[in-house]
Amino acid sequence: MKRIKKDNVYPFLKEMEETRDVYCPQWLNDKDLLFLPLGDGKFDGYIGKTTVSAKSLLFPQTEEIISFGKEIVKKNTDSRNTLAFGIRPCEMKAIEFTGRFMTREGITDPHYQSKREGMISIVVACNEPPSDTCFCLDAGGKPYLDDGFDIQLFDAGDYYIAVSGSKGGEEMLTFDKFEQADEEDSKRVEDIKKRSLESQVRKPGMKKAIETLKNGKASNEFWDKLASRCINCGGCVYVCPTCTCFNVYDLPSSDGYLRYRSWDACLHAGFTMETSGHNPRPTQGSRLARRHEHKLKFDIINYGESGCMGCGRCSDACPVGLGAIEIIEELNNL
Amino acid sequence: MTNSIGEMEDAEVFFVIGSNTTEQHPLIASRMIRAVREKNAKLIVADPRDTKIAKLATIHMSHSVGSDVALLNGLMHIIIKEGWEASEYIKTRTENFEKLKEVLERYTPERVSEITGIDKAVLRNAAEIYAKSKKSMILYAMGITQHVAGTDNVKSCANLAMLTGHVGSPSMGVNPLRGQSNVQGACDMGALPNVYSGYQPVTDQRIKGFFEEAWGVNDLSDKAGLTLTDMMDAGQRGDIKAMYIMGENPAMSDPDSKHARKVLRNLDFLVVQDIFLTETAKLANVVLPASSFAEKMGTYTNTERRVQLSRQAIPVLDGTMPDWQIICKVSSKAGYTMNYDSPVDILDEINRVTPSYRGITFDRLNNSWGLQWPCPDEKHDGTPFLHKDKFARGLGFFDAREYAPPPEVPDEEFPFQLITGRVGFQFHTGTMTRKVSILEREEPRAFLEMNPKDARRLKLINGSKVAIESRRGELYLPVKITNDIPEKVVFSTFHYSDQNINDLTINAVDPVAKIPEFSCAVSIRRV
Repeated sequence: MKRIKKDNVYPFLKEMEETRDVYCPQWLNDKDLLFLPLGDGKFDGYIGKTTVSAKSLLFPQTEEIISFGKEIVKKNTDSRNTLAFGIRPCEMKAIEFTGRFMTREGITDPHYQSKREGMISIVVACNEPPSDTCFCLDAGGKPYLDDGFDIQLFDAGDYYIAVSGSKGGEEMLTFDKFEQADEEDSKRVEDIKKRSLESQVRKPGMKKAIETLKNGKASNEFWDKLASRCINCGGCVYVCPTCTCFNVYDLPSSDGYLRYRSWDACLHAGFTMETSGHNPRPTQGSRLARRHEHKLKFDIINYGESGCMGCGRCSDACPVGLGAIEIIEELNNL
Repeated sequence: MTNSIGEMEDAEVFFVIGSNTTEQHPLIASRMIRAVREKNAKLIVADPRDTKIAKLATIHMSHSVGSDVALLNGLMHIIIKEGWEASEYIKTRTENFEKLKEVLERYTPERVSEITGIDKAVLRNAAEIYAKSKKSMILYAMGITQHVAGTDNVKSCANLAMLTGHVGSPSMGVNPLRGQSNVQGACDMGALPNVYSGYQPVTDQRIKGFFEEAWGVNDLSDKAGLTLTDMMDAGQRGDIKAMYIMGENPAMSDPDSKHARKVLRNLDFLVVQDIFLTETAKLANVVLPASSFAEKMGTYTNTERRVQLSRQAIPVLDGTMPDWQIICKVSSKAGYTMNYDSPVDILDEINRVTPSYRGITFDRLNNSWGLQWPCPDEKHDGTPFLHKDKFARGLGFFDAREYAPPPEVPDEEFPFQLITGRVGFQFHTGTMTRKVSILEREEPRAFLEMNPKDARRLKLINGSKVAIESRRGELYLPVKITNDIPEKVVFSTFHYSDQNINDLTINAVDPVAKIPEFSCAVSIRRV
């Protein structure tokens, strides 16, 4: 166990920048906190909850995946080493969750995997919920992690207490900005964990909603009524840490073509539209159902846990109040 | 808008007429939805179609196409009969009320119900909700303005707001939702035939003198020019021989567009300045390739009169030039030298010659989320809502209007009423949006919305192709059968150059604003 003074975080990240691309929550403007390369935004030490989740580090909004000309086809993978500082436990859990299908044996996504392998993660546990839409406890998570991180930091006031969770993390803790923890620090960590569990008050009731879906109690009319206010912007999907649907398209480049992939959203009609014009998800209601059933029903069947981490980003982003919290509450009113 | 968008959060009643808000102004719609959902605000929607916003409404009035004046007069008739009008407000802030009352007398619920197709009890209910609440906002869009009676419709909206005292305070007003990102700015800058920037009339000798001095010239015209629809007529007569069109695609967007294309083809000289080779640009003798919004700096004035700075994001693409530079070069070649170093220079001049923009300087925009005009000096914070304490003209003038039927109503030969509009994923003539694959994926082709009962009569199923014919042209479209549209009314969009619905629409114009009607009578047959 180590500790790092908060004043030393920025110097530490600057030092890391010599060997890695460093990403951390920074202010793009006075409203949007995003994971940006160090220096591209304003870093003031605030971790908070980023508008878009850390998934963008491994699965960017738009990326070149293949370049091709008359003869050559080149697969673009990412060999960079990165450091992601300030990931929240819910996002780290989402990355682990996403890894189950993005880096599945035999059908691995090379673009995702290369980024994942090059990334060291420094998670900052939540002493208290960074926003009032946080409900990770209700979603079966915790405001801190037991495993699945390289380093986890606990906020102890002027300094962070640092715990390593991997060999890479262990090595990073040997840098001189990290000092030896004192005897009290492990007790402090236990205190922080205990308080963090007590401080989260938002409890929309995901378990009950899962049962409702499982029992087929949510009718088409239920979804149609909710969807009547969906404006089809796709915002909930783009900010979600576990949504990974994409679209692929080619654009000409100076010496051939580039194949890109960009985030896509299952809420758009064209996402499921077939060439014939038939659409198996023909209404906005059916598409809204698809999205939430995926997270709260089929992920449980396939992976034994919900695909919603309870980060509440969709509830923050949705301009018409149709995030996971509201959907769960509506399901529980059935 | 007389109000600001932010004021919608505190409104108690929204009266939306002629606006498909959820699809065309989704963020404004989302504010209404939130106010309805979280603060129990009431929503009244008047639209022939059962649009998404209509489905969320407390009251949806599916009134017959073009019956807006009758509907609005009918609501006002009920308000006066029931004594729900704002007497004190009328007395102190308005004039000509007696004349309004006299006209409204004839708009009894019985007669209005007959014209509009709306039940008398529904009319009464809507009138009561709108009139009795403290904070009521009217919102409208092209469904109000694009009619021969467009000016009458707007005046009737204003009458209703003044009658109930619902204008001149936060969350109370008359709010036209502008349909393009900077159409408000274009009008503010005098891109109209009769005014300089800030709506200063060209016919006013004092203003003429002011601009002559500002620009160092001495022979500015004091006659109003021609509107777009006038120009097309003048082109046909041969009175106009050349046109210079910027960022507009009349070959597709004008009503009776076959006629518009013929006029454009017959000109001696046509110049088109645009970011893509539009249908109009294809007819031009000279095309001037302009840079897009991302390649230049400038300002936008949005629907709430807010002037906002937009910064250059990417370098200017090869072979293109920002519009302002093209205009400067053309003008200089033509003999009037324009010397501006940057858009900041131009904004400086706007500040000097436009009273309502005087305080909206570059430095202030550079450090803020923008300023709302009128903003008469650099100390002024801008104006969130208009007509506080008194109207811009002094007393609010009740200009009572009479209902007149639309210029072309269904008959035996053309039994359907066609209305046109946009869908959420395409914009106007598709010059930009049809080049974006994900938008094109959502709405790739034109369709004709039709009521199931009409479809049954014509023996059509979803997707059947029909020939749709008006007095001006014919088009083949697949039908989309939906309960969202009433019987004997059909709807289509004008985004698609290969299926241009404006080949059918009517070029009958409002006598004042010269805005065209578009809506017309059509026949439909199975093919």
